[in-house]
Amino acid sequence: MKKKKQVVTEEPAEMIPSEEENEAPIKAKRSKPDAGGEEEVVYHPVKLSRNDLYRPPTAEELNQLKEAESLFHCSLLKMQMEELLKEVALSERRKQQIDSFVQTVTKLLQTVPDSPEVEVSDLSWLSSAVKVPFLLVPKITKGKFHMAPPASIDLIGSYPLGICTKPHVMVDLAVTIPADVLHPKDVVNQRYPRKRALYLAGLAQHLTSSSEIGTMRYSCLHGNRLRPVLLLTPPDKNSSSFTVRVHACPPPGFFKPSRLHPERNNIRTEWYTGLQTSHSEISEPPTPHYNSSVLGDLLPRAHLQFLSAVSSQCSAFADGVALLKVWLRQRELNQGTGCFNGFLTSMLLAYLLTTHRISNTMTAYQLLRNSLNFLASTDLTVNGISLARDPDSTAPSLAEFHNAFQVVFVDPSGHLNMCADMTACTYKQLQHEASVSMQFWDNPTVDGFHSLLMTPKPMIRTSDHVFQLCELVKLQSSCKKLNLLSELMDHSGNYVHTALPFILTLLQRGLDQRIHLLTHSLSPDPEWSVECEAPKYKAQPPLSFGLLLRPELAASVLERGPPADSPKAAAFRQLWGPRSELRRFQDGAITEAVLWDGESMCQKRLVPKQIITHLLQLHADIPESCVRYVGAMVDDVIKSGSEVPSTGEEESLVVVQSYDDLSRKLWRLEGLPLSVTAVQGAHPALRYTQVFPPQPLKTDYSFFDKEKTCRSLVPKEDKPCPAYITPITVICHMEGSGKWPHDRLAIRHIRAAFHIQLGELLRKHHKYTCRPCPTHLDVWKDGLAFRIQVAYHREPQVLRESVNPDGLLVVRDNEEAQALEMATVHKPLLTSTLHGLQQQHPCFGAVCRLAKRWLGAQLFSDDITEDTADLLVASLFLQPAPFTPPGSPQVGFLRFLHLLSSFDWRNNPLVVNLNNQLTAADYTEIKNSFMASRESLPVMFIATPKDTKLSMWTRRAPSVQMLQRVMTVAAESLKVLEQQLMDGSQLQDVKVAMRPPLEVYDVVIHLNPKQVPLLSQAVDPPAVTFSRGVTTGSATQSGGSLPVIDYNPVSLYLAELREAFGDLALFFCDPYGGTVITVLWKPKAFVPVPFKTSQVSARSVEVTGDEASTVPNVEAVLEDFRTMGKGLVKSVEARTEKWAF
Amino acid sequence: MAPSKKKHAKSPACIIPGGFAVLPLQFSSDSTARHSLYVKEHKVRAETSSHRPLDRTLFVLNIPPYCSEEVVKELFSRFGRVDSVELRDHPGSSQESGPKLSEFFRLPGKKGFHVGYIVFKKASSLTAVKSHPHDVPLVVCTEQRPVKTGVQKWIHQYTESFIHPEKLQQIVDSFMENYDKRKEQEAERQKKEAKQQQEEEEGWVKVTRGHKGTKARPHSEAANQKTLKKEMKKKKRKELMNFYTWQHRNTQKEHIAELRKKFEEDKQRIALLRAQRKFKPY
Repeated sequence: MKKKKQVVTEEPAEMIPSEEENEAPIKAKRSKPDAGGEEEVVYHPVKLSRNDLYRPPTAEELNQLKEAESLFHCSLLKMQMEELLKEVALSERRKQQIDSFVQTVTKLLQTVPDSPEVEVSDLSWLSSAVKVPFLLVPKITKGKFHMAPPASIDLIGSYPLGICTKPHVMVDLAVTIPADVLHPKDVVNQRYPRKRALYLAGLAQHLTSSSEIGTMRYSCLHGNRLRPVLLLTPPDKNSSSFTVRVHACPPPGFFKPSRLHPERNNIRTEWYTGLQTSHSEISEPPTPHYNSSVLGDLLPRAHLQFLSAVSSQCSAFADGVALLKVWLRQRELNQGTGCFNGFLTSMLLAYLLTTHRISNTMTAYQLLRNSLNFLASTDLTVNGISLARDPDSTAPSLAEFHNAFQVVFVDPSGHLNMCADMTACTYKQLQHEASVSMQFWDNPTVDGFHSLLMTPKPMIRTSDHVFQLCELVKLQSSCKKLNLLSELMDHSGNYVHTALPFILTLLQRGLDQRIHLLTHSLSPDPEWSVECEAPKYKAQPPLSFGLLLRPELAASVLERGPPADSPKAAAFRQLWGPRSELRRFQDGAITEAVLWDGESMCQKRLVPKQIITHLLQLHADIPESCVRYVGAMVDDVIKSGSEVPSTGEEESLVVVQSYDDLSRKLWRLEGLPLSVTAVQGAHPALRYTQVFPPQPLKTDYSFFDKEKTCRSLVPKEDKPCPAYITPITVICHMEGSGKWPHDRLAIRHIRAAFHIQLGELLRKHHKYTCRPCPTHLDVWKDGLAFRIQVAYHREPQVLRESVNPDGLLVVRDNEEAQALEMATVHKPLLTSTLHGLQQQHPCFGAVCRLAKRWLGAQLFSDDITEDTADLLVASLFLQPAPFTPPGSPQVGFLRFLHLLSSFDWRNNPLVVNLNNQLTAADYTEIKNSFMASRESLPVMFIATPKDTKLSMWTRRAPSVQMLQRVMTVAAESLKVLEQQLMDGSQLQDVKVAMRPPLEVYDVVIHLNPKQVPLLSQAVDPPAVTFSRGVTTGSATQSGGSLPVIDYNPVSLYLAELREAFGDLALFFCDPYGGTVITVLWKPKAFVPVPFKTSQVSARSVEVTGDEASTVPNVEAVLEDFRTMGKGLVKSVEARTEKWAF
Repeated sequence: MAPSKKKHAKSPACIIPGGFAVLPLQFSSDSTARHSLYVKEHKVRAETSSHRPLDRTLFVLNIPPYCSEEVVKELFSRFGRVDSVELRDHPGSSQESGPKLSEFFRLPGKKGFHVGYIVFKKASSLTAVKSHPHDVPLVVCTEQRPVKTGVQKWIHQYTESFIHPEKLQQIVDSFMENYDKRKEQEAERQKKEAKQQQEEEEGWVKVTRGHKGTKARPHSEAANQKTLKKEMKKKKRKELMNFYTWQHRNTQKEHIAELRKKFEEDKQRIALLRAQRKFKPY
């Protein structure tokens, strides 16, 4: 029978078809250069000839070398910056394209025909194919309008300055509306903005007939509906490469700036509401936002002149702006309403240059650093800055600006606040980002370039908790509730932007000490086709808010207010409404207080949610149904089902407490021949990272058979598999002494003797049920099983020593010694270190659990082992750049997926600086030794302070192919999860990221759920449950029969399969209640090999002539799967469609 | 190895190149697929151990994991009385050295496919095996002789793993007693040897370092290396590094070379990253 596999010819790295093509794959270590033509890029140590190295240096070269050494951390950073700038700069070809397209557009625009004069509200002159990009509320406006060719057409903005960057290349074109179309009093009551919109519509109508324009869409500048713009793209295929943005402007100086002072009113209440009011012009509320949007149209040419004057003096200006833009973009701060856009960036640099905070000769990197430093140290919400040298007398003062706006940065004319739309929260976010970035730059152990300029920081991965306001229409009623009519008028009816600052202040007040930072998404600029009406305000995507929690305070259930008689009490009561009540505390104080619900840690983590929904409901009329809180959506998969939902913190604590008690008792034992020198935990449950921490159990004796000699229970064949009891490993080091034998077998026996004796003593003094074995001692205590292993510190050494025939004592490393050292030295150390980390970061354990649950569900548990996963998560907390350490399990988990999918394992070691023991010098050394021997090191290299050279945790696994697979799946899961979390309109099921695709496997072994002891931990727990011989109720402290410990048919079966068929196939299983074992044939498994006595396992012989070759006996192997797992295996499904016989 | 069911009652044995005879084997009578055992008389040039007599030992390859030594013994007793069965992970000479261990102290062996050495009572059984027709399979699990697999086996294993502490203590005690005895014997032997040596040298007493009673330390690799290192250090200390002008010049030259080398390294690193498109910020 011939059995052949299709994939045999493929190379190993492609064993599993990758789902995403644009995934940057790590190059397979052993892969031969493949046919795809992509050449192998590998780092080789530099070899310079003697001549090259020692030739006499020229002065220029010396300067260059010195500069690289002193200005930058190293020359690497300088080169990285240069490369990055090359990536974002516009190419010459692109510039030519832009220039020619701008020319055509200019020519076309100049030929706009005149049209007869009509009333502004009369739209009959427009064809129905083009709509006016303006929400006409209220409908009626006075004034006359007619179309006329533009007075002038100029390039403005970043393109003529040469600071335009990829992607989304925008070229701004200012079209000046001829003076006779406008009237100086048009400022009032939106007459000018409407005429401006009409003029744009007229231009659009004229351009529709031309074939030289590709697509035409409307948008509005920074989300300001008063300032619509027309977006034009070239007709040909590279239409997406750049966009020309047409602005309509009044002639320079057409309106008097003094009319647009932030304290003047330009929208009359009477006109806006349509009601007769008795307001005189003086008592009308000021309209600063409206004024500044009109003013903004007047000044672009002046700004351009100013900037070009400044930038011509500083050679690195353009590069500096480009770097800052990249930095802002990675933080999602450069787009949308109230963003810190490119224009502000250049203005900021100009400010720093004119105030001599940076000098003209600085490099781009220095410009970036200095501006970040400035941002971090200057609070524009309190101390605004101004570019105006000598403003005229009518210009408002800074104090006046501060009264009207939250953030103040005044332009060179002294009249316009360029940050008018920015909320204080956005600026605080900017400041926070800048100061965090400065810290990372100064930290030599962080790869600053990569983390600050190359890593995106989307909100869902940055903020600990995120929530969204879904139905923005509801904000209309909030405006009413908050009494914001005049502000609404100022924002010309944009209730979203009107209500937002007030909601932010409200939340900031309510959350107060619980958060570091409150951020919000910037609503993106709407874009719509010229044939459509302008979209309504509610049509934008939901507003997202991010919280950066203070872990120590965020989860507190008590909000303690001022004493009842203090004057502040009223404000407190006003804020919290009926939730505020008088409480008497243990210290005798009687104060106002709010008590939130929450028993377990996972409920307490959601206290901010309670606060937010309560405040929004109370003060802003936003019902709870509109608030979509995505703080803890992923946590469900590690929740264990008891009365109080818990994500395992409480259970872990019980385990740790029980262990502490046991360890104390071990220390105090008397009557041992040698004393105990150390008791160390070596199990994930003892560092809070066990996915499902062991829970105290009480056994139901009738469910089991009895073992007479040792008073132990034994599973019955006809019953379902009993509940799995995890043995919690504890290492007990015994004092070193000359009495220990110097022989491996003898040590093994002495250890057994210790186990017996320890067991005897524990039974006698504490009545614990014990079961001594040669390798360990099982202790049944508080419903938990502890597995004590006695260790002797010299044993690994003894295992390594041997006497060679010459009588020379040689020390040779071997696997047995390594395994022992791992179990008795490294694991306990890691456990105690990570236990410490948990004390610093309360959500560390939960992140580990989520990460490992995901790895298990995706069948990677065997490749990324528990310890590796814990280390990876630890690195997220120890080296969070560019983020801050995760403050919620969910955000930690997302970053874990991102780390897995994006880390460049090929070229970089991951350094996990446990206990902060490594210095910058150590980092360099690790990196150098890694580079020098990359080929011989594990694919996934993790260095810790105790293990800088070998990466012992990843020595066995994963392999190149598996790592590659893990990376693709992680990227895919991350994408799906982030979409699910951020998009409320989709069907919500975050568990999709936990369901592995089974199509890629060759054989699927279905297991009998009855025999899977951890069934209830499955991602999708089954409806039926089996009695597993445990009863609820408090576990007895000690005594009784020893229950069935560490009996899991699935893992026993898996081990047997791997031992028998390990060189033929890979076996995967979810250790947490998985009911399938998936099998993947190894790519080389089906290649016939010559008959050899060492290579005939499970193979059948084919004889051709004198040659005998062997191929796997697949039928018999499949039969063996069934035979070996009798009782456990339900069916074996061979997916023969993938591999032919 | 086509599983043709019933052809002739007496079909010849199948011998493949290499001299192995193919014996089909199936788990139970209703199994559909078969494994093949490859058997051959045990033949090596220098077999030293006595428990694999060359004429009576059968060498078996590809024994499935569910066949324990007892099962194999039963299976092959149809060809004649079996003396002993030895299952191993890999073919090779037996290396049973050291004291006999109780099964509880042996490190667990692999549970995969095994090779076996079956010693028959009579040499004639070997030929009987080799002429076994290739289409009559050996059946592992029959009604008279059930073989436990799967859940049954694991429960059995779990039950068997229990050992009463007293019994365990006994095993430990007896082993340690043995160990001490061996140690003593060893010490005695060494003493005797030393004495003998002394006597051989006819009245000359060898003078060693250390005071009387301490033995000369056994040679060890680590000690050798330590001494070597010490020597090197000594040599280095005596050297003068900053004495002559040319030495000065050389250090400066080295510094520039170092900078250049770093520069080149960085350049290469960048080139590598560029090749992997690592500079696209988004």
